[in-house]
Amino acid sequence: MARKDTMNALLTRGISEENVEKLLSKYNTMKAISDAGVSELEELGIPSEEAADIISKLSKRASTKAVSKPKETVEEVEIVNMELVSNPHEYTETEKQILDICEKENLELPLKVVVDIASRIQDKGLTDDEVKAITEKAAEMCERRRMDPNESVGIMAAHSIGEPGTQMNMRTFHYAGVANVNVTSGLPRLIEIVDARRVPSTPSMTVPLVGIAAEDENVARHVSYEIETTTLLNVATLETDITNMRLIVRPDPRRMDDRGITMDDIYERLNKIKVLRGLVQIEGYDIIITSDEPSYKKLQQIFDAAKTAKIKGIDGVSRAVLSKEGSTWKIITEGSNLKEVMKVQGVDATKVKTNSILEVADVLGIEAARNLLINEGRDTLSAAGTVDIRHIMLVADLMTNDGYVKAIGRHGISGRKSSVLARAAFEITAPHLLHAAMNGEVDNLEGVAENIIVGQPVTLGTGAVNLIYTPKRG
Amino acid sequence: MNGMQGISKRIGSIKFSCVSPDEIRRMSATKIITADTYDDEGYPIEMGLMDPHMGVIEPGLRCKTCGCKVDECPGHFGHIDLAMPVIHVGFIKDIKSLLESTCSKCGRLMLTPEQVEQRRRNMELMEELGGDSTDVKLFSKETAKDASSRGICPHCGAEQVKIKLDKPTTFREVTDNHKLTPKEVRERLERIPDEDLQTLGIDPATCRPEWMVLTALAVPPVTVRPSITLDSGDRSEDDLTHKLVDVLRINQRLRENRDSGSPQLIVEDLWELLQYHVTTYFDNQTSGIPPARHRSGRPLKTLTQRLKGKEGRFRSNLSGKRVNFSARTVISPDPFLSINEVGVPIPAARELTVPIHVNAHNIEMMREFVKRGIKPVTENGKYLPGANYVIRADGRKMRVTDRNAEEIAENLAIDYTVERQLIDGDVVLFNRQPSLHRMSMMAHRVRVMDGRTFRFNLCVCPPYNADFDGDEMNLHVLQSEEARAEARILMQVQENILSPRYGGPIIGAIHDHITGAYFLTHENPRFDRFQAMNILTKLDGIEIPEPAGVDENGKEYWTGRQLFSIILPKDFSVQFKASICQGCAECKKENCEYDAFVKISNGELVCGTIDVNGIGNSKGKILDRIARDYGSDRACQFINQVTRVALGAIMNHGFSTGIDDEDIPEEAKLEIANFNQECIDKAEAYVDSYRDGTLDQMPGRSLRETLEVKVKATLEDARNDAGRVAGRHLGMKNPAVIMAKSGARGSMLNLSQMAGCVGQQTVRGERLARGYWDRTLPHFKKGDLGAFARGFVTHSYKTGLSPTEFFFHAMGGREGLVDTAVRTSRSGYMQRRLISALEDLKLTADGSVKNTAGTIIQFKYGEDGSDPARAVGGKVIDYDDLFIEVLGEERAAALLKLDRKDNGENYGSREKDEMEYIEDEEGSDFEMDEPDYDGGE
Repeated sequence: MARKDTMNALLTRGISEENVEKLLSKYNTMKAISDAGVSELEELGIPSEEAADIISKLSKRASTKAVSKPKETVEEVEIVNMELVSNPHEYTETEKQILDICEKENLELPLKVVVDIASRIQDKGLTDDEVKAITEKAAEMCERRRMDPNESVGIMAAHSIGEPGTQMNMRTFHYAGVANVNVTSGLPRLIEIVDARRVPSTPSMTVPLVGIAAEDENVARHVSYEIETTTLLNVATLETDITNMRLIVRPDPRRMDDRGITMDDIYERLNKIKVLRGLVQIEGYDIIITSDEPSYKKLQQIFDAAKTAKIKGIDGVSRAVLSKEGSTWKIITEGSNLKEVMKVQGVDATKVKTNSILEVADVLGIEAARNLLINEGRDTLSAAGTVDIRHIMLVADLMTNDGYVKAIGRHGISGRKSSVLARAAFEITAPHLLHAAMNGEVDNLEGVAENIIVGQPVTLGTGAVNLIYTPKRG
Repeated sequence: MNGMQGISKRIGSIKFSCVSPDEIRRMSATKIITADTYDDEGYPIEMGLMDPHMGVIEPGLRCKTCGCKVDECPGHFGHIDLAMPVIHVGFIKDIKSLLESTCSKCGRLMLTPEQVEQRRRNMELMEELGGDSTDVKLFSKETAKDASSRGICPHCGAEQVKIKLDKPTTFREVTDNHKLTPKEVRERLERIPDEDLQTLGIDPATCRPEWMVLTALAVPPVTVRPSITLDSGDRSEDDLTHKLVDVLRINQRLRENRDSGSPQLIVEDLWELLQYHVTTYFDNQTSGIPPARHRSGRPLKTLTQRLKGKEGRFRSNLSGKRVNFSARTVISPDPFLSINEVGVPIPAARELTVPIHVNAHNIEMMREFVKRGIKPVTENGKYLPGANYVIRADGRKMRVTDRNAEEIAENLAIDYTVERQLIDGDVVLFNRQPSLHRMSMMAHRVRVMDGRTFRFNLCVCPPYNADFDGDEMNLHVLQSEEARAEARILMQVQENILSPRYGGPIIGAIHDHITGAYFLTHENPRFDRFQAMNILTKLDGIEIPEPAGVDENGKEYWTGRQLFSIILPKDFSVQFKASICQGCAECKKENCEYDAFVKISNGELVCGTIDVNGIGNSKGKILDRIARDYGSDRACQFINQVTRVALGAIMNHGFSTGIDDEDIPEEAKLEIANFNQECIDKAEAYVDSYRDGTLDQMPGRSLRETLEVKVKATLEDARNDAGRVAGRHLGMKNPAVIMAKSGARGSMLNLSQMAGCVGQQTVRGERLARGYWDRTLPHFKKGDLGAFARGFVTHSYKTGLSPTEFFFHAMGGREGLVDTAVRTSRSGYMQRRLISALEDLKLTADGSVKNTAGTIIQFKYGEDGSDPARAVGGKVIDYDDLFIEVLGEERAAALLKLDRKDNGENYGSREKDEMEYIEDEEGSDFEMDEPDYDGGE
């Protein structure tokens, strides 16, 4: 596209054809030209004044863009108004006591163990000596239960997650909690997680509420209407008047009231839709959309556009159901749009959850995505027998290792292995080999698959140790 | 064998590169010009496709290049000189991008020197930062795209004409639809200077782009494409040979026509035909052209097809291999084998051998083995191991026969190797497919036995997921000392009692073992001397304890708990809740009225019932503790002993179940029927209110969905209540209930379906709705939404189902079968992907997890560095155990929680049987086929 489009763009900006020719001999895009600067353009034989003129003409649009963009982001920051929750662990007395012992005796205890022990022995009237004995014993147990170096932890994790897969259910749907929201579960969900799909097959959010919304059902319902997409059909009945070539919209005042929608809202919304622009009128209690062309096709288009017109709510959220947990209300949705939902008033933006992993990675960052991978993986697997969380953590860490979510499979991790042979042995064999030949790739035989292929010990487990025993002569 | 000694060499790395036409000709053993293969006498024709310079496949002949015989000659490449150049399909996309990004006149990359410099710097930076080959690929692609978006060459100023690719191998110039011949393409590629190639990520030393347009075709050695001689004496050539014949034939015709100055049109047609044949020679599944076919219509298997896919070279021959020293047969159970043992039938033991290196210490023994020959038997008909082969120090292998046994034994010398038949105690690997986790292949000790099946202890069924309905398993005999040592230390069954998946025992008592333990310990029964002896009779090396007391008749007796305590370690203490625990609001502990609180102190079972939560696989608390704290030897001993004691107890008690166990009294039946009717009426009422619109719509649901939800909930109640009523009438004396409650087999749901009511049948979680218009079966009125019309089964399995109910039940059952079939293939593919992605991860000595590129995946494995197999159900430490051990039972009592989450799952459930049923029908192909893809992207 580039050359012809650029040429047209330059000409419309009133740059002489002669100069355009000269510019295009060196630059491909508008941006390249505007970045080049006056002196560089002069080199192409364009007089300096003209060059400056060109630059200014081109940069005009760029500069307006540059101004408008930060403005948008500023706005967003204001709306979201999130507080950074920094929550360093406050050590209790017992925890401090145990940690002190650890430090003094030079013992190593995972923090989780310290916290757990402390919570169990707190206020049970144990003597200092007993606490010390417990700490020492615990440290000894932890030491004994450490993983051995060179262990093939990856294969162990893959086995542990893959093996229960055969026993999982395929029944896609299952009701999430009390609310009647369908969520994919079982094997299809597990596959979806490791695939790192952009959009899960059943996106869903759990939206906890704060303040009065959390306590009062009616307020909560209002929040849910802010979230749930309301289409015209939800609040009105449509009637096609073929004789007059128009569409009559009969809003239901009760339902409009429920959802806090006024006639003006509907009017405005409909008027914003391209097909309907300028055709909408309020007539008494009805809204009339008159076709501007006497064709049934157009009328049909109007009908379709009006039917699906969004009046209120957040894009992508098709349903929002209230659910009570303890004494507080929360909303469970079908469809997910984390960024927008977090902005809604009454929503506890710090605790909103979604099951769309890539969305979380986009909105909240990679660490959040990793945590979601672990949680979703654990919840899905818990249906088919327990799997140690360490295995799931390893998979999640591998998938999010370099800052974005990579899939398990040929488009993700397996396709990016350093070894040609390993990639060829997995999938898409021939193209990998041909490419390796073209680029002169070298396979250093460090992984498992490639060493098996050439027939030598792998570099894991006992194969990782290189011990040579030289017997004494004589 | 000699190569195995000392330090073996390792291949350090493998470099891939393209072969230049010059090199093809240089390494060629012969030029091939004729399409004929054999002459009339059946000898290969010189300069034909079977030229003996390229190696030999017939015994007796010698290779004309290296002079070696079959199996010694590795084979040598030949070559075909192509009359006209032809494009290599595999590189078509790369050729296109090269043509687009370089000038058609001067051949330079169409970027300014500054841009090139910038790109170079970025590339270097990327390599410095550890970019892999994929990054380089993506970056080069971008470079090429940038260069090709320019219409005028910045170097020579030539205007560029866009190029279009007509799949698969034709290039056209867009302006005048002029076809670029491979020759022109090659000329353009030749003009690209080496420096510019480097900018594009191509190493000119390993691959000049013009090599992608072939002028010479390497012909693989005959050993790569051997011909087979059929019984009739006809020769059948390999697919590759067929394809090469096509290439040669067209090549010949093309040359003749070109040289004789035939019309351009004819030459071009032949050229295209040659292109087609060379293309299909490389890849016979190229999209856009019809695959070359055999005369029978079968598509030819050419180079790419040989490599790719599940049956391709990589996955079928390189990543996995067929082996010797292995055996496969049906399996059957033997409770009197240790969990570490495997029973090997004599015919298999005679074939499988272990190589023993002869030295000064064992030469006499080895001589004895050899002297016995291949089928020695003792006087009483018992198995005696012999030897099958003797390998001399110079590597000659000699078969031992009855005739030469004496002589070979006589000549046996040090440094010979004797291939000895299996004896008891040999270490072998035992495996059952699908091998889904590492416990699918474990090391066992051999026990040579009569019969024709492999036998092993029942406790080892869960890790293999085996049963005895005709399952077969594989056995591999290890051939080196290192392998045996490693197998013994890492792979033996007893080392795998704790599963790394969930940190609990995967090997433990199952089925009747658990029922037996229940009978032995529940309510602490008394046994007289005869019974006690019977129960203990299969235990080795134990002391019979003093009788627990004397009963009213003056006879001494032993209690069940006393007998159970014999096999516990003497200092063993533990407390937990048994499976029969009713889950009271407040636990009465020792005073539990159901005898469900288990307390063991100092090796004495004080109270409680031993069931699945004590010794069962995946849940057994006692097992778990012993395996963890007393080591694998003790755990193995405990499992062996506890299962035998349990079997002794169940045999003493006698145990059977039948359909009459599900008999319930008339009044119970009436109660169930009444409640069912009530629920059905209620469902009917919902349907009515749905009809007249009085049904309250649930938020976010349609009216119809609301109805379904309500009706389903109501009918669910019906079944649950039927189960409750049935459960009330089937007391703890009922064998089926004992099995369900103790966790041996079956569940209360199974029982209530047999005794009470089967319940609602579903497809995809919905009540049945498909079939005829507006109804499921012609027995119902159209639009009937009531319970019966939509698959509610009110009868029990015992009373029998009505015809419509039976049909509905079959519908639900069918869904289950289809489900399992789909699931096996899907989860198989998922696991393959998981393994491929995770196989290279390794825990390094500093506790971090790294991949082969050295990237850190985790700084500390699992955030605490502990082993999931050694951690208790995911926790590094079981705090209850910690407190009891440090503080003693009394002091710790206040701190205990005694909660234990169930882990593992119900092995051998109904699902598994269904799965096998499917497998039988479709073959156990549990892997998804490689999805179709189209070339590179």
